[in-house]
Amino acid sequence: MLRFLVSRIVLLVITLFAASIIVFTASEFTPGSVARKSLGPYATQEQVESLTKRLKADDPLPVRYVRWIGVLTGVLADPLQDPANGLGFSDPRGSRYFGNFGYSTLYKLPVNDVIWDRLGNTAILAGLAFAFIIPLSMIFGVLSGMREGSKLDRTLSTVSIVLTSIPEFASSVFLVTLFVILLPWLPGTSPLTESPQWSVRSQFILPVAVLVIYDFGYVARMIRISMVGVMEKAYIRTAILKGLNPRRVIMRHALRNAMIAPFTVLLLQVNFLVSGVVVTELVFAYPGFGRMLLEASLFGDITLIEAATMITVTVAVMTQLIGDIGYMLLNPQVRIS
Amino acid sequence: MSDFPHAKIPGLIEDLQSGKMHRREFLRFATLLGLSAASAYAIAGGSDPLISEARADDMPKGGNIRIGMRCQEIKNPHASDFVERTNVIRQVCEYLTKTGQDNITRPYLLEKWEASADLKTWTLTLRKDVKWHDGRPLTADDVVWNLKRVSDPANGSSVLGLFTGYLVENYDTGEKDKDGKAKMSSRLWAENAIEKVDDHTVRLNAFAPQIGVPEHLFHYPMFILDPKENGVFGVGSNGTGAFELTEYTVGKSGKLTARKDYWGGGPYIDTLEFIDLGDNPSAAISAVASKQVDGLHEADAIQINAMKNFPNIAVYDAITAQTGVARMRQDQKPWDDKRVRKAMRLACDRAKTISASLLGRGVAAEDHHVAPIHPEYAKLPVMDRNVEEAKKLLAEAGFPDGFDTEIVTRPDPAWEINAVQALVEQFKEIGVRATIKALPGAQYWDVWDKVPFSYTGWGHRPLGVMVLALAYRTGAVWNESGYSNAEFDKLLTEAEGTLDVDKRRAIMEKIETIMQEDGPIVQPFWRTTSTVMDKRVKGFQQHPSQYIFANEMAITA
Repeated sequence: MLRFLVSRIVLLVITLFAASIIVFTASEFTPGSVARKSLGPYATQEQVESLTKRLKADDPLPVRYVRWIGVLTGVLADPLQDPANGLGFSDPRGSRYFGNFGYSTLYKLPVNDVIWDRLGNTAILAGLAFAFIIPLSMIFGVLSGMREGSKLDRTLSTVSIVLTSIPEFASSVFLVTLFVILLPWLPGTSPLTESPQWSVRSQFILPVAVLVIYDFGYVARMIRISMVGVMEKAYIRTAILKGLNPRRVIMRHALRNAMIAPFTVLLLQVNFLVSGVVVTELVFAYPGFGRMLLEASLFGDITLIEAATMITVTVAVMTQLIGDIGYMLLNPQVRIS
Repeated sequence: MSDFPHAKIPGLIEDLQSGKMHRREFLRFATLLGLSAASAYAIAGGSDPLISEARADDMPKGGNIRIGMRCQEIKNPHASDFVERTNVIRQVCEYLTKTGQDNITRPYLLEKWEASADLKTWTLTLRKDVKWHDGRPLTADDVVWNLKRVSDPANGSSVLGLFTGYLVENYDTGEKDKDGKAKMSSRLWAENAIEKVDDHTVRLNAFAPQIGVPEHLFHYPMFILDPKENGVFGVGSNGTGAFELTEYTVGKSGKLTARKDYWGGGPYIDTLEFIDLGDNPSAAISAVASKQVDGLHEADAIQINAMKNFPNIAVYDAITAQTGVARMRQDQKPWDDKRVRKAMRLACDRAKTISASLLGRGVAAEDHHVAPIHPEYAKLPVMDRNVEEAKKLLAEAGFPDGFDTEIVTRPDPAWEINAVQALVEQFKEIGVRATIKALPGAQYWDVWDKVPFSYTGWGHRPLGVMVLALAYRTGAVWNESGYSNAEFDKLLTEAEGTLDVDKRRAIMEKIETIMQEDGPIVQPFWRTTSTVMDKRVKGFQQHPSQYIFANEMAITA
């Protein structure tokens, strides 16, 4: 087990390294210089050239990459924070510390001051959505899969397929039109600031609803397929023929085995909810990680994109690891070779 | 003369009375020469509309106003580049002058200004009742420090561009760039260019005449900051304004709390909040619909159409000199041929472009970047669309079958890309096949003054000569089209120093004609800027530059 964990952590580091090189190289082909982005559109060419020189932004790509790694690991000071630049960029943690993702040229703040708040907001949104997606998809999946082809199965399957087919932007507009414009029951945006009429809590309802509508049908379909497969197994038939209570058969014997395959799917939804909820965050003006990533990409904020990539890759690898461990626990037949 | 702050004012009054000068033109120039707005309005027949608005006794007191606006980083006020940033700082730190919603510039932190007869020496007298939040009085030392700071290229302020040509000079640093060309920099032209006279008087000693000085002192980054804070702004920063910034999170929200001992008018509300609603236009509509915000910083034509029927909403418009220009670099082919540039103007269908990109919320422009609301505007005919004439010009220039090109623009704001799409279709009909390259904002600003053909949005400026000097004078910092025309430069310098209305209008007509015949732009329209506010919000007026002055605003319970 220990060996397995160590090998996974090594894999994580290699993946992070590879991803950082790919992102750094890809951003090389986008127009726009760090100096221009730091100084703003109205800075003169002379100011841009002067800052480019001070930042050594004309150095070859590998040199700049190594410098970025140096800043990240705390070996080098962040050149953007040099007071001589006159940019007023300063990090209360100092210019040299481990985990220094650098300075965001978009927000003009240390990346660490931007990214964790945004990630926290998205984690809350994702957590709430997950709290509905899991039970709903399990109920729909199990009820559908229990009796394949029954009226109930067809009804629930149709609902799942229809809801999953509606893109987030469409369900958002529909829900806003209904619950904000026509029936003014809910706030139309979620900036997470209290207003006299709307609490912060009420601002979660619509974005969570959109995510649940979009996602739960897909997970329910996965659980249904798995459930159908399990219900056809000989041991289930035996249990039913033995006269066991069907509820007991489902809960004790079928469900656990039916969850093995969807477990991986559920964990993949964590990745989606962390970095893939851009549309929902944009529509509801939610200050989350996805919206931040989109804005950073459009602006070409390389340090912020790099940091966000590191975090999303870490989350992806960690969920994979948890998936492997969970798979093992759910199915003792699985052994790690 | 002795009753007036400038020798030229009696002449302006004569011009007004004889009908040679329009009322608006008189108000602008008389106030720029130091006549108070109240006196200027009285002479022109009327009362100062802003004074009567600001002194309204029936303004409700207390409450909180929430405005939807991007909450961008605000650390460096002197280098601010977007109006959203300055709308936060503006409530805490103030300007020496203020150009109101009526486009008239008045003293603000100044009690008055006086210009010498040759418009080279400007004496700025500070109000004596202005106090910083920490109780210290505002002094000439504070003002001199701020004016010198923005004049230093190291600080990255765009005010430098405005000061260049009369307070700031370009000089050869003695270094060479990688192409072997001399490296240039900027500096104040003389030791005493910005001079403290006494504790409440500052003098600007220019090397060239300049009529627009009071307007320049209201350029959006020209805040008067507390020198002790060394140009850095944030929560709790000192200022002379009506509010203190008490909370601010980039990308989320900001909160300002009213000052009890403000020296000026208002504030009427207790707190002002800015809520970041992102770039998605529908989010702003949803926020207004659910009353999460009391108004927006700006609303485009599509948003206005969606919100104008909300029962609680009032729409505010301002006719502005805000525009977008399809500009061609004069030093690159095929745009180096003036026949090609004129052909592009002849291809433009202004009415269709206004309809497609602004949903009708604009007026046709005449391709010379001087707006009807500018006091020095001379009316020229709008260039009618003439596809045959355009094709003929292209053929004469060696392009009988047209040519392929690329126009660079931004996807945001939507009206800009919509205008480009409309223009590209119109250019097609004369054989100019343009593909659109939409670059995200930051990337666009890296190439905006370099690519051969691009579309650029230009903000409102109160004087026509101001924008011509910034954008079309040979070698100007923001001359994005590389335009260089010796006659144009000569006439522009003449116009900047000419107060005689007939002479100036004659010069402006020549300048505008040069722009129409030879100039580097296709300018389809002037844009009307709009926003919405809840009807409970009082005292709000849409400023042509989209500036918010929260000390003038109130809200009913």
